[in-house]
Amino acid sequence: MHSLRIGLVFIALIAVLGTNTAFADSPSVTAVLNSSETVVGETVQLQIRLKGARGADAPERIAVDGLEIHRTGTSQHFEMNNFNVTSSVIYDYTILPVKSGTFTIPSQTIRVGNNSLRTPALTLQVAASPNGQTAQRRSGASSTAEANQLVFAELIVPKKSAFVGEMVPAQIRMGFDPRAHPQLIEPPEITGQGFTAQKLQQAGENLETINGRAYEVVTYKTAIAAARAGKFELGPVKAKVQVLTPRRPTSPRSRSPFDLFNLDDPFSDPFFSNPFGQLGERREVEINSEPVAFEVKPLPQNAPASFSGAIGNFTMTTEAKPKSVQVGDPITVTSTISGRGNFDRVNASAIEDEHGWHKYPPSSKFKQDDEVGISGAKTFEMVLSPNEKKQSIPPLAFSYFDPVKEQYVTLRSDPIAITVQGGGAAAPNAATAQAGSAPTPATAARPGSAVPATAKPQDILYQLTERPQVAQSFVPLYARPHFWIAQLIPLLALIGFAGWKVRQRGINNREARRIAALQHEAAELMRKLHRGDASPREYYAEASRVVRVKAALARNIDPNTVDVETAADTFRLDGDSRERLRRLFEQSDELQYSGAHNGSGKISPENRRDVLELIEDLHV
Amino acid sequence: MKGRKLLVDLCCAVVCTFVGASAFAQSETEFTKANQEYAEGHFKEAIDRYEALVRSGQWSANLFYDFGNAYFRTGDFGRAILNYERALTLERHHPEAAANLQIARDEARALEMQPSWSERYLQLASINQYSIAAAAAFWVAIFCIASLVFARRRSAAAIAFSTFSLLMAALSILAIYQLDTGSKGRALAIVTGKEVQARLATADTANSVLALPPGSEIKILSIRGDWIYAALPNNLRGWILAKDTEQVRL
Repeated sequence: MHSLRIGLVFIALIAVLGTNTAFADSPSVTAVLNSSETVVGETVQLQIRLKGARGADAPERIAVDGLEIHRTGTSQHFEMNNFNVTSSVIYDYTILPVKSGTFTIPSQTIRVGNNSLRTPALTLQVAASPNGQTAQRRSGASSTAEANQLVFAELIVPKKSAFVGEMVPAQIRMGFDPRAHPQLIEPPEITGQGFTAQKLQQAGENLETINGRAYEVVTYKTAIAAARAGKFELGPVKAKVQVLTPRRPTSPRSRSPFDLFNLDDPFSDPFFSNPFGQLGERREVEINSEPVAFEVKPLPQNAPASFSGAIGNFTMTTEAKPKSVQVGDPITVTSTISGRGNFDRVNASAIEDEHGWHKYPPSSKFKQDDEVGISGAKTFEMVLSPNEKKQSIPPLAFSYFDPVKEQYVTLRSDPIAITVQGGGAAAPNAATAQAGSAPTPATAARPGSAVPATAKPQDILYQLTERPQVAQSFVPLYARPHFWIAQLIPLLALIGFAGWKVRQRGINNREARRIAALQHEAAELMRKLHRGDASPREYYAEASRVVRVKAALARNIDPNTVDVETAADTFRLDGDSRERLRRLFEQSDELQYSGAHNGSGKISPENRRDVLELIEDLHV
Repeated sequence: MKGRKLLVDLCCAVVCTFVGASAFAQSETEFTKANQEYAEGHFKEAIDRYEALVRSGQWSANLFYDFGNAYFRTGDFGRAILNYERALTLERHHPEAAANLQIARDEARALEMQPSWSERYLQLASINQYSIAAAAAFWVAIFCIASLVFARRRSAAAIAFSTFSLLMAALSILAIYQLDTGSKGRALAIVTGKEVQARLATADTANSVLALPPGSEIKILSIRGDWIYAALPNNLRGWILAKDTEQVRL
């Protein structure tokens, strides 16, 4: 019920407003300049306001000789007065005078529906500019001034005088208005000559109020060392930062809540209260601090021999390992110099009496206690090798200049007792070599010498006067021709060996074939003898041939050379068998050469059996 | 006709022998004179004479050793180390050269190449000794295999022995390769220049990789114009001007 009542009131209100708007005044047009005077190059805004209408055909540009007039925007406004709503459209034009003089902006025709309205003619006085860019520069300078209010830099050097080479701590403070969303483009840098500065280290960030304005303050720490004596200026500190600044207003604007006292706070711009209202612009701003006067005094002349340029206040500790060694063995001596000063000029402490010692270049390690490295401890490791028997490591000396006392100070370590035994073989030297100014320290392990040495000799050995009869060569043996020629000897030997072996095999093969042939012949003859269909001449010839072949096989000789006695001896026959064998051979010869029983007659079965028994009984 | 040719050949051989013998006798005299110069403290003159002998190719370990001593006396530790290294390359067991090399290295604070573990083990013998071992093992293996081929019965012992011999030959060849291409191999060079810096690129303004004292060892990997790319001590690599180094093997 309640909501229904509110709805009815809202509808009535809309109806009244609609009626009032519908019955508003008839359209009218006015034109105004934000300034009737200007200089060449400085823009002026022209507004054409159309009342009582929601839109019209306004020109995009207005042609006037000597002026460039372009439409730059359109906005619509509604005003309500005693429920009487008036709407108006504002056309914004920017006028850029390109020459001096008095110009008349002619009347413009604005068409609203079927009506034509005319703006009044306007007069603009344009003064000549001494420099064509002055106006723009003035605008830029004003803008830079505004930007510079957003950031600042400050160089703080606590000491105003120092000695040459002395490290003086310095601080740089950079303040930024957080509303300007600053972005550092170039980090701060201390400009000037005659000194060196350590790398800047950001030390902190906090919010401070300075002259009623809030700043985000970033602190950087560094240390400065003067390279020459005299008076000079440190700084200014320079940096480049990008900040967000509002666009320049084209008409007077209301003061922002940040600008209570009308200090021309750039953040008076409504952009900062409503970032989406209109865009700001990013600008690069160079920040410069005030320079600082600095006096540098020269170091006194009476510097000790071990002074390497160290200035500050230092202490030294030393230790050695191992304490018991052989002659030639390495001893690592560690000296630590700690305190406050220019550690880049702190060198290793020097051994006061080097006699009887072989010294290798030291390695160093620095552990800093602060951001800029003027406080900490530098540790040196030096390898010493005794060349002879020693009772102790001699004192190490380190000299520095104390700027407070204004005098040189030499620190000396106590002698470190050690035991050095002579006569033993020198151990391989393990030397840690600092490779000059090279960025990478080089460590080279040295293998022991091929020559056994009881102690490291101080001088090189004598000249040698003997020379070999034949000149020596650097060419490796395998690359020399005579090495390969020499390989021909075993190669020829191999070829000879292979040839001999092949020949042997061939010979062996012939013998085997001959034996096989004889065996085959013997077997064939035996089959014929068993058949018994041969004539007596053939029968006895084959029988004697079998005996010869068998004897030849047994004695590995030619069967043709076998006679009765040889065969009987081969088979070691007794008297009866020998006699029977002799008769067999005689009968064979008789039938072979005499011509008796040639081609006729037969061998009796008894004789054949006798012959076969005799032959089959022949065994070695 | 044939007899005349034989006579000419014989004459040539006699002349060559005579010329060779006379050249050796001359170099022997030169060597003696160089040693005398050295003994009298005329080190520069001695260096000139040793230099002439080296140029003539009459190389010996003792010549390079004496040459190194002469350079040592003049304070040129880089070239002293180079010549001691050459003496040791010609004769692995040259105790005098080894002793003086150690002293020169200490004086010059020269950096040395670290041999790999395999090189350290293989340095038991020289490349020449490995060459002989490889050849001997190879031929023994070949003869064993040949006898196995022709034998009617192949014994296990013969097979094992031939395999072992082949393995020995292969190992010897591998050792030759390792030593020849290793840190002390044919690419070994010595820094003879002073204040030599190995650089990241072939320019005098390029960043330095390592400062190389005279006498430091490097291994040449490649050559580009006046610059050599070398393996350096501490497993580093860099470019060095070729004129600042000399190769050990001539």
